[in-house]
Amino acid sequence: MEIKEYVRPSSLEEAYQLMRTRHATPLGGCVWLRMNAKPVALGVDLASLDLDYIRDTGDMIEIGAMTTYRSLETSNLLAKQYGKLFPEALSHIVGVQLRATISVGGTVAGRYGFSDLNTTLSALGAKVVLYPGTITDLATFIAEGAESPFLVEKILLPKGVRGAYQQIRITRNDFPILNVAVAWTGSAWRVAVGSRPAATRLCHAAMQMLGSDPCPSDQTIEAASMQAAEETSVGSDIRASHDYRKAVLPVLIRRALLEVRG
Amino acid sequence: MIVTITINGKKESLQIEPGDMLVDTLRNAGHVEVKKGCDTGNCGVCTVLLDGKPIRSCSFLAVRAEGHEITTIQGVAEEARRFADFLNREGADQCGFCAPGFALTVIAMKRELKNPTEEEIRHYLAGNLCRCTGYESQHRAIRNYLEADHA
Amino acid sequence: MHEAPMRNAPTFSVVAHPHKKVDGEGLMLGRPAYTDDLVPSNALHVKLVRSPHAFARIKSIDATEALKLPGVACVLTWKDCPRIPITRAGQGNPEPSPHDRFILDEYVRYVGDEAAVVAAEDEATAEKAASLLKIEYEVLEPILDFEHAKDNPIIIHPEEGIHEMFPIGFEPKRNIAAAYHMEVGDVEQELAASPVRVDTVVYTQAQNHVAMEPHAAFSYLDVQGRLTIVTSTQNPWHTRRLLGLALQMPLRSIRIVKPRVGGGFGAKQHIHVEPYVALVTLKTGRPARIALTRREVFESTFTRHQMRVNIRLGADPDGTLRAIDMQVLSNTGAYGEHALTTFMVAGSKTLPLYNKVKAVRFGGDVVYTNKVSAGAFRGYGAIQGLTGLESAIDELAHKLGVSPVELRRKNMIHEGETSEVFRIMGEGTEGVAMNIESCKLEECIRRGKELIGWNDERLVWEVAPGRVHALGMAIAMQGSGIPMIDMGSARIELQDGGFFKLHVGATDIGTGSDTILAQIAAEELGVDMEDIIIHSSDTDHTPFDVGAYASSTTYVSGSAVLKAAASMRRKLIDTVAMLWNVSPEDVIYEDKAFRTVDGSRHLTLHDFSYDTLYHNGVRMQTIEVTESFSGEKSPPPYLAGFVEIELDKETGKVDVVKYVGVADVGTPINPNLAKIQIEGGLLQGIGMALYEDVRYSDKGHLLSHNLMTYAIPSREDVGSIVVELVDSYEPSGPCGAKSAGEIGIDTPPAAIANAIRNATGVRLTHLPFTPDKVLAAIKAAEGAA
Ligand SMILES: Cc1cc2nc3c(=O)[nH]c(=O)nc-3n(C[C@H](O)[C@H](O)[C@H](O)COP(=O)(O)OP(=O)(O)OC[C@H]3O[C@@H](n4cnc5c(N)ncnc54)[C@H](O)[C@@H]3O)c2cc1C
Ligand code: FES
Ligand code: FES
Repeated sequence: MEIKEYVRPSSLEEAYQLMRTRHATPLGGCVWLRMNAKPVALGVDLASLDLDYIRDTGDMIEIGAMTTYRSLETSNLLAKQYGKLFPEALSHIVGVQLRATISVGGTVAGRYGFSDLNTTLSALGAKVVLYPGTITDLATFIAEGAESPFLVEKILLPKGVRGAYQQIRITRNDFPILNVAVAWTGSAWRVAVGSRPAATRLCHAAMQMLGSDPCPSDQTIEAASMQAAEETSVGSDIRASHDYRKAVLPVLIRRALLEVRG
Repeated sequence: MIVTITINGKKESLQIEPGDMLVDTLRNAGHVEVKKGCDTGNCGVCTVLLDGKPIRSCSFLAVRAEGHEITTIQGVAEEARRFADFLNREGADQCGFCAPGFALTVIAMKRELKNPTEEEIRHYLAGNLCRCTGYESQHRAIRNYLEADHA
Repeated sequence: MHEAPMRNAPTFSVVAHPHKKVDGEGLMLGRPAYTDDLVPSNALHVKLVRSPHAFARIKSIDATEALKLPGVACVLTWKDCPRIPITRAGQGNPEPSPHDRFILDEYVRYVGDEAAVVAAEDEATAEKAASLLKIEYEVLEPILDFEHAKDNPIIIHPEEGIHEMFPIGFEPKRNIAAAYHMEVGDVEQELAASPVRVDTVVYTQAQNHVAMEPHAAFSYLDVQGRLTIVTSTQNPWHTRRLLGLALQMPLRSIRIVKPRVGGGFGAKQHIHVEPYVALVTLKTGRPARIALTRREVFESTFTRHQMRVNIRLGADPDGTLRAIDMQVLSNTGAYGEHALTTFMVAGSKTLPLYNKVKAVRFGGDVVYTNKVSAGAFRGYGAIQGLTGLESAIDELAHKLGVSPVELRRKNMIHEGETSEVFRIMGEGTEGVAMNIESCKLEECIRRGKELIGWNDERLVWEVAPGRVHALGMAIAMQGSGIPMIDMGSARIELQDGGFFKLHVGATDIGTGSDTILAQIAAEELGVDMEDIIIHSSDTDHTPFDVGAYASSTTYVSGSAVLKAAASMRRKLIDTVAMLWNVSPEDVIYEDKAFRTVDGSRHLTLHDFSYDTLYHNGVRMQTIEVTESFSGEKSPPPYLAGFVEIELDKETGKVDVVKYVGVADVGTPINPNLAKIQIEGGLLQGIGMALYEDVRYSDKGHLLSHNLMTYAIPSREDVGSIVVELVDSYEPSGPCGAKSAGEIGIDTPPAAIANAIRNATGVRLTHLPFTPDKVLAAIKAAEGAA
């Protein structure tokens, strides 16, 4: 890739000011950015901002924007909170080496259609913190974006949430044809669908149908799965057709719901 | 700009552009043991260790290696030779283009995972593609290599 | 199994042992070995400017801005190239491929076709200059659907001067690159008289080789002003010959060096990059280097030929196969490289499997489209033909209600038999009659059934609600070189110290052929592996060889090595006998030493090597031999492939739980390397069956142009691959060997299609069997039921 001018600020404020005052591009993992043919006029490297952390703040889990997928996958803290959810959602992504570079912030900021992480975070009810302090619902952020320029500082995850993740791929580490995550927050169900092939969306009507019962019946689960397929728009790409996605969506949601319900 | 990177234990000062990827910096500096097989980060042949952990040098900014330790296969030559022996005995070395990146990842895995299961091994190495071998022979070699240490 | 002593075969001490690959450790340690590791530092960097259109005429190229850029050495267009029609296919002379291509042309015929060449001091400048080139195109309407190419009003090759080298059915005005037809007996009559018939069609897709090393080359003028090209090629001599024609240079002024090659599979059996570095070096006098990006490999090197294979079978109710009709339409893309030959192999290396039929017919066309050209690819037509044939055989078994295994056993070829097809169909020419002297298909099937746990009564079972496991199988044959066309040679020279230099033209492209050729030489010369120093291949320094393709290296080049080693052995004995003034019959050569029968004289090979080079006065001489081999036949290796799949009926996802391949490759010169050829081939075949697909937009842009959009199997995709080699000995082969390079890839598409059929009752006809296609087929069948 071509970066015409490169700076490596040591504070978030400095980075943010550069972004506000000049046409600057934040550099996350750069795994995606580097494939962009367009030169970057001013690259603002986020590597020295101490944004690589996963911590328990008491009522929340905080994940810094420069935390890598590999850290999420291998984090004991996350494993204790969410079981195998993160390894299951992320470990199909190419390989350990690349996952050691991909950043959470770049993924959220990019709002990629194929994203496994954004689907997972959306289902968990994550919030995204934009510097200097705007807190937005992550699912909403994925759907609507934010006014540029913005700087993703960290992600906030509620505790005590149980989630499950399901996907279908042609090969094990290809991009997903479809990915799905569901979660029981303790008071409600959340259902997210990504790689439609467009970006993640919540299935609000299906969530409503599931209501506040931690143990919905098989019939309710089936109905909610069908409802999710009904309300979610999907498309075609080289991996699969619209019809295929429509047909498999309820299957994946049912499987995920059954996994969480037990 | 100039970056100083410790490559296989030796400090090297290298002239780079800020957008350069580490793989090109390393190859231009003569470390041609680091291969390049794709433009997208999919194949794993460019694997090097950054402070002991495997990364893809094609997907890593050279400027970020400043002040860090980069290990190529040459930096773990002795261990690589040991592993090569197991690989050779299975005939699992074919065209060899994937071999340096693959071997580095195996060596990193051995350090990181204790008694990995077959599934964990395949999972750890999933991003190292090989078009020649069909992988089976590589796994026979890995099992023997790991077992040899326990014996 | 290969450990067991071989029936009617001699015992070996170096051959048939799993020796380590001679270059294995060095490659793993990353020693500079591949083309792009060796580039001179002062080389110019070459970038190719590629067509953004599927079909267009170049109206003008304005290089003013590009040439203004500091560091740009030259920009070359079609106007700078000799207008000589060539083929890029590395094949024998004359090539069975049409000469329908120019190094650079006024017309571009697919997205990615070369439009201009830029060279600069560094890669970034070359890229920049390439982007500054202003090319004005007259965009033409392309043909993208190969089923509508023939006699389409759009003509892809209207230009004058292009031609075939001998009759191959070349009719460019009809968009036909090649055509062929043959018939033995009366197929229509036999079919009409057959009480049981099936009629099937299979579409096999284009596939990319994805050799891990992208194509690369560099060139320079040596001290004598000769053009040297170092390149990742499978065939140095063909490359030299084709370049000589393309550049209008005498062959004596060109040298081709093949260093280590990072995989080929057919991808490097062509000239893709060499002409462009050569042009730049000739123009500037400077060394020039090119290394394709992975995207360029996808966009501008070759694919497997996409084919439609129609099969009609006729049989008696007892399962006796009476007639086979195979009609093929093949898509060669924009140019006709390997058009005729891959298409003919679809018949010639499949139909003899069922050699007892009364009538057999094969025919069809190979058409041009505005897509990436197709070329050589492991399997080379046989995989396409077999996918059709072996699917049809299973359909016949279903119709007859018999075991698919027994149906094959009843009709397939056996040792001592022949097939008319061998005589009639060659590769582009007539074939060569051949008796099968080694065929252990029966044993392959027996052992394969055992390893997969085959049970005719239980070919599908449920493992969980909606999730089934199912079995499927297929058999295959290939060849071992092209008889009377492929030729290989070997030169052996004794060195001071008592070791041998073995020079071969055979091109090790990662398969380990250097190792097995050294094994053959060591075996025959009665020395250790370490006593053979092998070098391949360099048109200036190693003897001729056609190259690594058509499963020829072990059989053809191996035979040349064996002959050379035998000659060397005789020559050593003759020379020593002369020195001792005894007759050669009185000299025994054993354990690296000579002695007379009566034991009166003794000389080690080591001492002899010094004597002949330093001590023998006027009788000093270099002991050297060169031998060549060209096969009179092409003995097929065989394989029985068995698969267990898991199929998720709710998602259509098919996973290979286990794939068993049991093969007859004759004597495996190196059992490990032979086995890995087959393991690797099986996985590449599974990739074709389930995952890999070359896809285009409706404007002809390649959508699968990198490894993100074209996924090959990873180590997590397939459960297990089990390969065994059965005891076999091919009398015509070196140390009893046949070939192992291609046979592995052939069975997976058919075996997996057959397993899916057993799992679901549905016959899938379009490869690859992605979840989308599988689910759609299941749903369609449910809807119909
Ligand atoms: C070969 C390959 C295969 C992949 N397969 C998958 C897959 O199967 N599933 C999947 O989910 N993902 C996949 N990914 C994508 C990956 O998971 C990431 O989503 C992607 O690489 C972005 O992360 P990054 O850190 O590299 O971001 P970058 O490339 O650094 O950044 C992406 C964008 O976000 C901006 N940005 C970065 N950080 C911030 C920040 N903190 N604040 C504001 N803006 C920021 C950048 O300027 C840029 O525009 C794949 C990627 C590759 C290369
Ligand atoms: S070169 Fe392919 S992953 Fe780096
Ligand atoms: S050995 Fe050739 S790619 Fe692995």
